[in-house]
Amino acid sequence: MNASSQTWIVVADDPAVSGLVVAARILSAEVTAVVAGRRATAESVVAAGVDRVLWLGEPAEGTPVEAYAPDVARTVAAGAPGAVLGSSEGAGRVMLGAIAALLQAPGLSGVTALERDGNQIGVTRSVFGGIAERRDLVTGGTAVIALAGGEISDPTGLAVPVEEVTANALTTGRLTGLRPKEKAPVNLRAARTVVAVGRGLKAKDDLALITDLADAIGGELACSRPLAEGVHWIAKDRNIGISGQQIAPELYVAIGISGQLQHMVGVRDADVIVAVNSDKDALIFKQCDYGIVGDLYTVVPALTAALAAKP
Amino acid sequence: MTIVVAYKWAPNPQDAAVRSEGTVDFTRAKSTISEYDPVAFELARRVADSTGAQVVGVTVGDASIDTSLARKAALSRGLDRLVIVADDRLVGADSTRLAAVLATVVRRIGDVDLVLAGESSVDVTEGQVAMTLAGQLGWLGLNAVSSVSASDGGYAVERDVPSGTVSMVVTGPAVLATTADAVLPRVPGMKDILGAAKKPVEVLSLDALDVPSAQVTLTTLSTSRPAAGNRQRVIIDGSDPTAAAAELVGALRAAKVL
Repeated sequence: MNASSQTWIVVADDPAVSGLVVAARILSAEVTAVVAGRRATAESVVAAGVDRVLWLGEPAEGTPVEAYAPDVARTVAAGAPGAVLGSSEGAGRVMLGAIAALLQAPGLSGVTALERDGNQIGVTRSVFGGIAERRDLVTGGTAVIALAGGEISDPTGLAVPVEEVTANALTTGRLTGLRPKEKAPVNLRAARTVVAVGRGLKAKDDLALITDLADAIGGELACSRPLAEGVHWIAKDRNIGISGQQIAPELYVAIGISGQLQHMVGVRDADVIVAVNSDKDALIFKQCDYGIVGDLYTVVPALTAALAAKP
Repeated sequence: MTIVVAYKWAPNPQDAAVRSEGTVDFTRAKSTISEYDPVAFELARRVADSTGAQVVGVTVGDASIDTSLARKAALSRGLDRLVIVADDRLVGADSTRLAAVLATVVRRIGDVDLVLAGESSVDVTEGQVAMTLAGQLGWLGLNAVSSVSASDGGYAVERDVPSGTVSMVVTGPAVLATTADAVLPRVPGMKDILGAAKKPVEVLSLDALDVPSAQVTLTTLSTSRPAAGNRQRVIIDGSDPTAAAAELVGALRAAKVL
């Protein structure tokens, strides 16, 4: 298939498209959005700086957005863009999977940089959960690219009309209800300061030490993987690293975290990293800006007290 | 009916070595059933026990995935039988290749109405294969599935999404990727491990499957280790916690971080 120099973006349930539009503009001057879901979602995209909006029509009551994945794939394939970009989260994965399958093209995740080299597209991405990076040239057709979450875009472009495309959504799934979360999901990516704790913590009750410090410093609580998926002391959406969030706060405080690569890839873009660990040989002391070698059970309360004192 | 568990026999990057030029050496990392996959095995068994379906494990990959240890590890987790495609032409295969091979196997098994998979593989960690498999089959694909049970004419499915828990009814064939903690998988006991040796294993040749060929290819230009960053590495002795805390807070204030 001859892919054109156009770039398309896929928008499913999530109107956070500004990151997709910015990335798409790196690759081409013209950007077309394919939107599955409610008309309101399509309307939120018309002024996001795209040139065309193709909308698959109002879903019948109870139809999940994922049911449009085959339609999205057919629409994108018909346009034969040089690249198609979508969200690496939620329904975005389903859309990109359907596109990758129809085009028999690899789906590219963990993307850190995109470039256009003549008619070809270069993609740099972290592989194996972030322990290494690889730069690839995509040849033979469309580059199918998943990008991590962006922000809700302010309308920056001129509004373009919504063009409705005939769709034939799958009818095999029906939504029957939504139970909202008791606690609002935390957005660690938006936090300026994050205080994370790892296996150095001996008991769940001792978490108060860490939350006191987080409160004193004005930061969000986070953790390394064993505390979220091993002992379940902290909610999964606060897990930092390979299997969790990748964040870039101004200040990251790592307490009782040894500094394995699989954790550190989640914070390598932090401006300042502070570590507290009782093991002076812990890997984290080679990857931090400031470190205190000491027992977290005495150092953390001292830090909380020092922060409360006036400068 | 048949429920397929699509799983991976894979090493953990935690145990891999990253060479200075950025290539990854997995030779010292032992493979296991990929970390998140036991959840899919457990869910499949529970659903099958309530409907009378059979549970078939399917794994595809390079030749190293077919060992007697790997077979037993899968068959002791509640499968009725196992289908393997192990071929070195699949070394380093991308998510679309693996999904294409899985799709031909699922079609060949025939009466499948549900494919369950883990959240992502432990080695590649992209979480894409299952949803590409759904695309390949033309089936409904849903990720973040936290619960599946048989209901009238289909399955009741719950999904854990950022806004809450979505409940759904699925009435046609579907590929479901589970959350990492949807259920607590049982640990295989001695009886399961001994029983595993008696269960049927079918090894399919890649040549016998009608797998569509890749249309888009990747040429690797370079590899690298992620930049560790130029960190200051100011290390403070914490044997006097109060003094150390004051020193750190002072340094952060001086640097205008606080």
